[in-house]
Amino acid sequence: MMKKQLFLTAFCLGSFALQSLSFCGFYVAKADTKLFNKTSQVIMVRDGNKTTVTMANDFKGNVKDFAMVIPVPNVLQKKDIRIVENSLFNKLDAYSGPRLVEYYDENPCSPRIQYDMLESIQYNNAIPTSISMKDVKRNKVLGVTIEAQYQVDEYDILILSAKESDGLKTWLTENGYKIPTAAAEVLAPYIKNNLKFFVVKVDLDKLNEINGTTNLNKYIKTHDNENIQNLRPIQISYTSPKFMLPIRLGMANSTGAQDMVVYAFSKEGRVECTNYRTVKIPSNENIPLFVKNKFGQFYVDLFERAHDKENKEAIFLEYAWNISPQFRGAKCDPCVGPPPIFTDLTKAGVNWAMNNGNQASSNVFFTRLHLRYSRNTHPRDLEFQVTPNKEHFQARYILTNTAVGDLSCNAGQTYCATVIKNRVNELENLSQLTSWSTVEYSGYVKEYYDLLKDKNILNEVKSTQKNKQPWLGVPSNESRLGLKIALFLSVVFLLTFAYLIRQKNPLASK
Amino acid sequence: MRAISLSTKSIFFQDARNYQILYLAAFLVFGIFKLHWDLSLIKVSAILFTTCLTQFAWIKINNGQLSSLKSGLITSLGLCLILNSTSIITLSLAGMLAISAKYIIRYKHKHLFNPANFGIVLSILIFNDAWISPGQWGSDALFLFVLTVLGGFILHKIGRLETSLIFLGVLFLLEFTRTVLYQGWEMDVLLHKFSSGTLLLFSFFMITDPMTIPNSKKARIIWASILAVATFILSTWMQLYTAPIWVLFFMPPLTLFFDKIYPYKKFEWNNN
Repeated sequence: MMKKQLFLTAFCLGSFALQSLSFCGFYVAKADTKLFNKTSQVIMVRDGNKTTVTMANDFKGNVKDFAMVIPVPNVLQKKDIRIVENSLFNKLDAYSGPRLVEYYDENPCSPRIQYDMLESIQYNNAIPTSISMKDVKRNKVLGVTIEAQYQVDEYDILILSAKESDGLKTWLTENGYKIPTAAAEVLAPYIKNNLKFFVVKVDLDKLNEINGTTNLNKYIKTHDNENIQNLRPIQISYTSPKFMLPIRLGMANSTGAQDMVVYAFSKEGRVECTNYRTVKIPSNENIPLFVKNKFGQFYVDLFERAHDKENKEAIFLEYAWNISPQFRGAKCDPCVGPPPIFTDLTKAGVNWAMNNGNQASSNVFFTRLHLRYSRNTHPRDLEFQVTPNKEHFQARYILTNTAVGDLSCNAGQTYCATVIKNRVNELENLSQLTSWSTVEYSGYVKEYYDLLKDKNILNEVKSTQKNKQPWLGVPSNESRLGLKIALFLSVVFLLTFAYLIRQKNPLASK
Repeated sequence: MRAISLSTKSIFFQDARNYQILYLAAFLVFGIFKLHWDLSLIKVSAILFTTCLTQFAWIKINNGQLSSLKSGLITSLGLCLILNSTSIITLSLAGMLAISAKYIIRYKHKHLFNPANFGIVLSILIFNDAWISPGQWGSDALFLFVLTVLGGFILHKIGRLETSLIFLGVLFLLEFTRTVLYQGWEMDVLLHKFSSGTLLLFSFFMITDPMTIPNSKKARIIWASILAVATFILSTWMQLYTAPIWVLFFMPPLTLFFDKIYPYKKFEWNNN
């Protein structure tokens, strides 16, 4: 019954999405093929007041239907807009994703979690590429100004400002964008907050040129060059004290929750949310060996359970690490993918990865945040801050490969009893982390229980499992230690001084 | 001024500071065990120990009453609830500096800075490894309700409730005008802003320390309104999400000014 209901929900979402227009953050299609449905991925790089945001895009369908609207704090220059390769997201995702670690044979293994991403709106007709005088007049009536217009590789980009939401709504409708009612309602606050609108569509000719498929259609009629997958991510940079991600436009159409994974880079340390709680995803737990084959599902269920436990509003920390090329400590334990190299960082917008003297920087801190949001639980856009917290963290789950063979000797019997207790422990962990019913896995415990000749041994041994936390390479050097010692000594000196004065003149004190 | 007759209460309940200690300690337990803060018991103990030890030393030097240790405890709990750092040294020093400032920076037998506020702001400014997480409380409605009601009750006891209400009221009015009336956001956007545990804790605990705010009621009303307006400006146009804490740090000159033009007798804790 439950399963059926879930399926129906997923189906409705899918079909609804395909028919309608959606904005930044809205996910279209294929609820059943990937692990986390409706997931967007964003890279955010923050350096002082400068923010670089990269939005991944795996829109699938006719590129003519693709368009995207993102509220931005100011009118961007052409140099502030770049196109990056999809592989960047794949690398960051693979590197920072939740991981499994196997003990005894030290063979780290973890299936990479695939995320879907789409920040797109469906687009009705082709937008006229040139703007006529008539258009200009009409725009004036509607209070919509085209602040800038750029062509960046395969994308046509407009930056709009608007005086009031009705005008913008009409403009978008007249120019072929279908606006959902709910989205129109949140346009007003953005306009009043002086945000501009970054509107993107794909130039098909340019895309064909880039892909080298311009003349292909002459010879192969069946080649569907309009059904291109994996549009390249767009990267924008701006300077503004605002360090936030607008999620409200994206959820305008959505009836359900959507996921977002944020890869954040800073000089100082972890990035955290200031208007929602940022909490660590449960980590470093011992789990049964059989989870290895269904780690994807395990993590999906773990996330869902953690999300429920935190009132569906918390934002989860999945990874936090100093990944500077210069940093000498371990970059991960275990590493799921190769650590991002210098060029990856530069592509992501970390422009301090190499300093003026051509030396690799030692202060690139990487934070991966994962949130599931909906209109009810997250009424406000996400606001972030960079903290000086450099503590490392990773979502890491531990498998233990037990010994096999003849275990009939005394030590072997004790070992079996320990394994039984450990495995019960692992099953209980699994049940708590994911809500899976673990009774059906009784064989997992029975395997070693049957090897016990005298069941009384069980009363004599304890589980040996403690959460094996690796040394995370947390920088141990105290910041400004000299100043701290000086201040400490000053306080002690003052106390002594005040004490001496009081001895001389008791009236001087209170 | 007191609404509750003291004669019927046991000695414990006569000093509002006892309530404050219970109140803050309860939220610390809630934060650590329910909200899973990254605050280890070692850090908490270090803050409590160094802050109270510093307070004890200053009491001895000044021949003060040992009951002032309660104020030290309140300051250290306040630090635990608001300040974050990965360094135990930073947290301990924040407590030491907070208490010492209370005894050193004085004017007419009144200390100028709210000790916890001073410790927080100073350590963020100079140590490079401390910060405030305004989002750490979440917006759990029941918890916030308890925070408000208990906070209100304690303030009622020490007669400083109007300061919190004026601060929150003015801030709410300004935010309502901008967020809802001007920008057109829905009401739940505004309510979410005000369901921040950090803001409520600040309103009910920090700005109501009777020792560091104006003595006269009239002055406090104007003082709280100024605090609210400054907070609104900083958080709206400078995206400073911890604005009230910074504004409070710069309020002492105003407090002195108001004490001068609206003189009123200084608050004394009931130490019985």
